[in-house]
Amino acid sequence: MVTSATLYNIMQFLNITIDIRNVCVFLAPFFSSLTTIVTYLLTKELKVCDLAGLVAAAMIAIVPGYISRSVAGSYDNEGIAIFCMLLTYYFWIKAVNTGTILWATLTALAYFYMVSSWGGYVFLINLIPLHVLALMLLGRFSARVYVAYSTLYCVGTVLSMQISFVGFQPVQSSEHMLALGVFGLCQLYAFADYLRYHLSPANFELLFKALLTTLLATLGTAVVVLTVTGKISPWTGRFYSLLDPSYAKNNIPIIASVSEHQPTSWSSFYFDLQVLVFLFPAGLYFCFAKLTDANIFIILYGVLSIYFAGVMVRLMLVLAPVMCIVSGVAASSLLSLHVKDIEPKVEKPDKKKKHENNLVFRSEVGAIFVCVLGCLLVSYVFHCTWVTSEAYSSPSIVLSARAHDGARIIFDDFREAYTWLKMNTPEDSKVMSWWDYGYQITAMANRTVIVDNNTWNNTHISRVGQAMASSEEHAYEIMRELDVDYVLVIFGGLVGYSSDDINKFLWMVRIGGSTDRGAHIKEADYYTGSGEFRVDAHGSPTLLNCLMYKMSYYKFGLVYTEGGRPPGYDRVRGAEIGNKDFNLDVLEEAYTTEHWLVRIYKVKPLPNRGL
Amino acid sequence: MEALFAIPFSVLELPNIKIKKPSWLQAPSAMTTFSLVLFSYFLVTGGIIYDVIVEPPSVGSTTDEHGHSRPVAFMPNRVNGQYIMEGLASSFLFSLGGLGFIILDRTHNPTTPKLNRILLISVAFLCILVSFFTTWIFMRMKLPGYLQN
Repeated sequence: MVTSATLYNIMQFLNITIDIRNVCVFLAPFFSSLTTIVTYLLTKELKVCDLAGLVAAAMIAIVPGYISRSVAGSYDNEGIAIFCMLLTYYFWIKAVNTGTILWATLTALAYFYMVSSWGGYVFLINLIPLHVLALMLLGRFSARVYVAYSTLYCVGTVLSMQISFVGFQPVQSSEHMLALGVFGLCQLYAFADYLRYHLSPANFELLFKALLTTLLATLGTAVVVLTVTGKISPWTGRFYSLLDPSYAKNNIPIIASVSEHQPTSWSSFYFDLQVLVFLFPAGLYFCFAKLTDANIFIILYGVLSIYFAGVMVRLMLVLAPVMCIVSGVAASSLLSLHVKDIEPKVEKPDKKKKHENNLVFRSEVGAIFVCVLGCLLVSYVFHCTWVTSEAYSSPSIVLSARAHDGARIIFDDFREAYTWLKMNTPEDSKVMSWWDYGYQITAMANRTVIVDNNTWNNTHISRVGQAMASSEEHAYEIMRELDVDYVLVIFGGLVGYSSDDINKFLWMVRIGGSTDRGAHIKEADYYTGSGEFRVDAHGSPTLLNCLMYKMSYYKFGLVYTEGGRPPGYDRVRGAEIGNKDFNLDVLEEAYTTEHWLVRIYKVKPLPNRGL
Repeated sequence: MEALFAIPFSVLELPNIKIKKPSWLQAPSAMTTFSLVLFSYFLVTGGIIYDVIVEPPSVGSTTDEHGHSRPVAFMPNRVNGQYIMEGLASSFLFSLGGLGFIILDRTHNPTTPKLNRILLISVAFLCILVSFFTTWIFMRMKLPGYLQN
């Protein structure tokens, strides 16, 4: 947000009047163009192959994995964060290669920008110390790395603590302990080298062993004591679930329920990266073949991001840049080898004849390879443009579908419902819905919501989940406690929209049952005897009488949805609903949109007379 | 000062142990590490984490008109779901394509004999082309509208 405000003010100062809304909408594409430039600089700095930078920049310009998060209008942290991350990495590689304080300080400034934009800075502050540690283990630790890392750690940590969200975490939380540990280790290593230079070998051995044992002992006890007394907090849930993917599934259902947090399948990799998945191993091979300090960093970055992208689909975004860099290295190394072959040099006489003879068909192989790689890259372009136009270019609030005769049908139900709420309800009314729609209701209907996408208060969301999963009477108590006036549900059974609340219902049950007051809600009650989730006559009675079921299917039993099917046929679940004619006791239907996608109910006030 | 340090050792006796680093413990070579990395790439891009968390079946099954259940290789219409076998098959193809490019680089030095070089180059091109086209076909089977408007 600060970035958009700064850009807006700069442009106002230059008398370029662009509305702030347009600045926000186009911020992400602008920063992704800057990312392309930084990728070019970063790949050039790796010095594996001269022209790798251009290829990598061309690839990252269209890679779907990054485009998905940087379309115009997506005003999320990741739009700027990837630019900041690659900028920090570029400065870090420069600092390691040159060893000057200037580049290290620039790295710290870029790191500060990264911390202020995204919580994913934890990845950076663990990757860079891991790189330094790897260099130490491989015997490549030199004065340059020492200067670079010490400057970066000191300046970067002090700067990052200026952000109020981070505060004192760099010295208190386990996620930052690796950086602190490696910083200490750097000092010790440099000190040991200094002593080795000044002392005789025998004296040095003795001093070194004594110091090492004392230090390990004190450090070990210090870490154990601090962790046990709780001064160093353990890894927080959202990062711990990256190391142990089953943790979120078993313990924190609200993290596990987000669809972006699901593990990745092969088709997501291929869909977002296409030809890069083939070039990535080749690029790693080239980096391994010519190991330098900078290459080790890229190898570590690549391997770690592959693992993290496998754990969580959302982190495909972090993988896309390194895939482009490494594939750029591979493509340009191979091309530079083979393009030279196409035009064979005039051969020098006799001495070289013995060796040259073995390289038969040089120019043919070179030409064939250049053609093949050219075709692969052209298909990459076609794939990226198709994916971007089909999957990542649709607005998310207006849906469209094609009828069987090819005509396009527009579903504008969301805006219809939110406008109805804005026009027809008192201004101070409170709307209860699932947290996915919170921001939309707040922004477009301008009404207070009970829970929204910030998902800050898990207990509160759990209470809403309990209300949705309980029977009407029980839910009415919860709704009166939360002071709810209107309830909103999304129902896709009439048109076949599969991201509706009944499909999300099991998550509501799990989250509702995860706190103390929801202990009576057990997931098993909502399945049939054979363990299936069904909404037809075989469905579990708890499910057929809960509030969510009744709100979704109120009066649905009278509607014919598909030819040849009985009334009340749910097109998403593919079943005729079990509980058809029922009346609502505590709610009354306020509004249902044209395609029944959004249904709004008013909570009835307490009856005037007793009994 | 020496006297101060000598006090504990008037009571304690140093054990005479000789601990040496075992000679077979060495840092792995670059290519060994690379093969380990390639193996882990094969596992992760095959969706092994997805398999462990979501526990999909190894192949899916549908029932056709006569009531027989037929196996389904690819989970249809979803980019974010897979069966175990399709994941492993695809990541095998990814690694094969990568290996094809690597072979192309290894054959480019003058010391390989002629026949070896021709064979290896043809194998490499075969790897690259087969894996590319097969993954393209897999994606078509999974998403029927792939690369069509």
